[in-house]
Amino acid sequence: MKNLVNFKINGISVVAQKGETILSVARKNEIYIPTMCYISKTSPCASCRMCVVEASGMDGFVLSCNTPPVEGVEITTDSAALNHERVNIMKLYDVNHPLECGVCDKSGDCDLQNKTLEFGLSAQSFSAKDQLRPIKHWGLIDYEPSLCIMCEKCVHVCNEVIGDDAIEVKFGGYSSTIIPKNSEMLDCTFCGECIAVCPVGALTSSGFRYRANAWELEKIPSTCAHCSAGCPLEYETRHASINENEKIYRVKNNFEFSSLCGAGRFGFDFDTSAKKEASSFELAIKAIESAKAIRFSSIITNEEAHILELLKDKLGLKLFNEDARKFAEFMRAYSSVSGKLHHSGSLDAIKKSDAVIVIGSRIATDNPGVRYALTTASKHSGAKIVYAHPLEDILMQNVITQMMKYEVGTEEGVMALLTHSILIGADLDESERAIIDELDLGYLCAETNIGEEEFSLMIKSFSRATKKTLIIGNDLIAHARSQNIAKFAALIEKYSDFCVVVVPREVNTLGVSLINSLDADENISGVVGYGANGDFKISSLADANLVVPAFNQQEGTVVSIDNRVLPINVALGFDGYTLNDIAKAFGIDRENTIDYTKLLNKKSGFKEIEFDNLENFLSPFGEDNRGYILDEVECLMDGELDELDDMPEFNGTIIYHADPVLQFNSYTNITTQLPKDSYLRGSEQFSVAARIADGDLVEIKTDSSTIRRVFKLDGELKGTVALSPTYDLNSDFSGYRFEKSKIARVINE
Amino acid sequence: MHNEHNEHLKNRNVSELDVNYYMVDIKDYPTDSWGKFKRVVQRSFRGELFVGLWVVLREMIRFDIHTVKYPEEKMPIGPRYRAVHEMKRLWESDTERCIGCGLCEKICISNCIRIDTKIDENSRKEVSEYSINLGRCIFCGYCAEVCPELAITHGGEYENASDQREHFIMYQDMLTPLDTMKAGAQREFEGFGAITPHEDERVKKTPLAY
Repeated sequence: MKNLVNFKINGISVVAQKGETILSVARKNEIYIPTMCYISKTSPCASCRMCVVEASGMDGFVLSCNTPPVEGVEITTDSAALNHERVNIMKLYDVNHPLECGVCDKSGDCDLQNKTLEFGLSAQSFSAKDQLRPIKHWGLIDYEPSLCIMCEKCVHVCNEVIGDDAIEVKFGGYSSTIIPKNSEMLDCTFCGECIAVCPVGALTSSGFRYRANAWELEKIPSTCAHCSAGCPLEYETRHASINENEKIYRVKNNFEFSSLCGAGRFGFDFDTSAKKEASSFELAIKAIESAKAIRFSSIITNEEAHILELLKDKLGLKLFNEDARKFAEFMRAYSSVSGKLHHSGSLDAIKKSDAVIVIGSRIATDNPGVRYALTTASKHSGAKIVYAHPLEDILMQNVITQMMKYEVGTEEGVMALLTHSILIGADLDESERAIIDELDLGYLCAETNIGEEEFSLMIKSFSRATKKTLIIGNDLIAHARSQNIAKFAALIEKYSDFCVVVVPREVNTLGVSLINSLDADENISGVVGYGANGDFKISSLADANLVVPAFNQQEGTVVSIDNRVLPINVALGFDGYTLNDIAKAFGIDRENTIDYTKLLNKKSGFKEIEFDNLENFLSPFGEDNRGYILDEVECLMDGELDELDDMPEFNGTIIYHADPVLQFNSYTNITTQLPKDSYLRGSEQFSVAARIADGDLVEIKTDSSTIRRVFKLDGELKGTVALSPTYDLNSDFSGYRFEKSKIARVINE
Repeated sequence: MHNEHNEHLKNRNVSELDVNYYMVDIKDYPTDSWGKFKRVVQRSFRGELFVGLWVVLREMIRFDIHTVKYPEEKMPIGPRYRAVHEMKRLWESDTERCIGCGLCEKICISNCIRIDTKIDENSRKEVSEYSINLGRCIFCGYCAEVCPELAITHGGEYENASDQREHFIMYQDMLTPLDTMKAGAQREFEGFGAITPHEDERVKKTPLAY
């Protein structure tokens, strides 16, 4: 009880946890203190000074947003003097603020307008010389300095939560503005979080600006469809033009507690449309009747996955989904050692961690949700973050404390070495201890190219940490030795205080891996593709033989990286057929797709809850009330570690299949606003090795594919690994993402 | 004083209050069929019929005709009459007053206004499409009332018959023509929502004391 502080606000006795401020305690107890610049997920900006309160035994006012209470203090939040102070602050905010609320992009959804009315300001009593402040166009973001009130929320969010650190305040009294940091143009990942937090219409989305008003848009709460972070968002819809149908105008998020990357915020128009055409439906039925297998992507809901499983049972089909199958196998091996079906960590756990290892993922682009959690951990808990990967990532530079650069293909060795150094004095059982002790450390260090001193440095920097997290990326899941790697990860989880987060590749890889029994993909004919390639394609993309609704046009659930079952809702209508209609034709008869929500696989931890009973909101204090968390399932611990395999060698020009910022899959590729960078990006060293120059059209031949791309020299990269996107290829890239390649310049015919 | 006034209104027995009221002398209606027959004959042959006919004949000969010869002649329309909408221009610059705030679209109870807005090359809000479906409009005047810029108002143009519904939604027809504007002949609407007299004295100005 030592950590609790008892004090009074307005005569009401309240209790503060250690580290809480007066403002957060007041909010928890529903006592109102006005603020302009406060945002819960960052450290206090303390720029507005609206949150001033009186404290007993103190002269003058105290800022409640960054002052922790002391035992027994009596706080007053409202008095004539405080009101006078706040009214004066509002008067200063309103000086020369353009009176264009009627056309402002904020359209009344404005903190400044609310507070001006709240404090009853009807006239400007101060004067200041106005100055020329031209609008800045920063790509997807527009900045209008004359509307800016310098609350600094955008700067704090960009720096402390996102990690781009791309904007800063240019101080200059009345002429202060927000400017791009160290650059003329804004150079960032365009997450748009600054737009979300802006309390006035200063930072706006250029694609939305002046196209609709906040009060005429209908809000549909849902979950982002692009990666497995499962970020909450709201689609905002309205009729498109004078005589047209509904369309999505923008995406908003509860920026007070959650964050959203640019793909979620700007990549919303991937919907499709279709009418019920009996002929193509019959063709689809026939194709499935005669099919040997259904190949599907993980960008589907749990309910669809369940229906596919029912179709498999009914028709004796095979189900192909390499991405989810590899994830399932990884998790099976993991569970066989850890004894638990699900990984133990979550994004929230990462945010609160003070020591993190990220291995085998270019995490900033693979899963921005994890990146933001890491940034939060780094900025708010001073977390030590070890980033183990063959490639440096400039986006993670501000956050990571130790780069552990290993050789391509040696992930198993790295995991073995990590396990060895983390579990050095742990109470392993004999067979496990034998494997760990018998590791040929010299060979492994040589092959992985990580020195023993790097591990001891890591252990040393983690020595004071209490909350540790291991984040495992796709390079480990798709690795040829993934099962043994999983067992090493499980050992760390079991015998140390690390919790483990395995990052699923697609939005519902995790859900599919828990629902479907998948078969190894054979290259056979007679495959129906459901959102994937096949002889007959059922999908919501352009080349489909039968069009089904896209992710923002259907109801259902997905499982996020947090093992949370999240609802998605219908933002836009769809008139065509759905997978459930196909199932009905085969006698699997439920009226709606969401009737399957309560029937999802209980053995994997799903609960028997109707879709309509799933909540989808964050509480006013930031508690996540979306959907439910999967029940923990105990597993048989029969897994045994294998001896390590020889480390494979990757020489020459290597391709790493990694998407650029804001791109994930075929759906992000068809959105209008997201940038579509399709270059092969490589370092100077790579260009020498491959004998190509900046701007060359090159043909990249790997074991799995042959593609053509334009080469771009990227000064931020090093080594002989080049980045090649996959989002625009419309084919399966769930294999190991590093590939040896032959690169040849294409001579223009 | 106030109460007295109310008392006065509550008392419906007018004969007690005001001596100027008097009973009209009306004979009882006949009840038997002979009486009814006599009343018909009396009314038919009294000659009142010919009074009316004489008045018409007299005025025809005098050529003093009061009938408005529509459509050649039209009655003047009151300034507050709510007929087909007009889109006004700014006196200062002749540009359109509409700022595209969308309030008229929102308030319209028959859902007949739709507008499209976008950002223009000067980074200002531009109205790219404005349509009023006059076939649906009930001329309630809410749009003119809510308009913060006095941009959409009602005019006196009530002749909006057409054989094509599409003719009811022409924006260009509603907008004040530029030559009218140049001639300073744009008329302001005086109905609800219009500027009241002495508005200038009530405006608070932003201090410019630098």
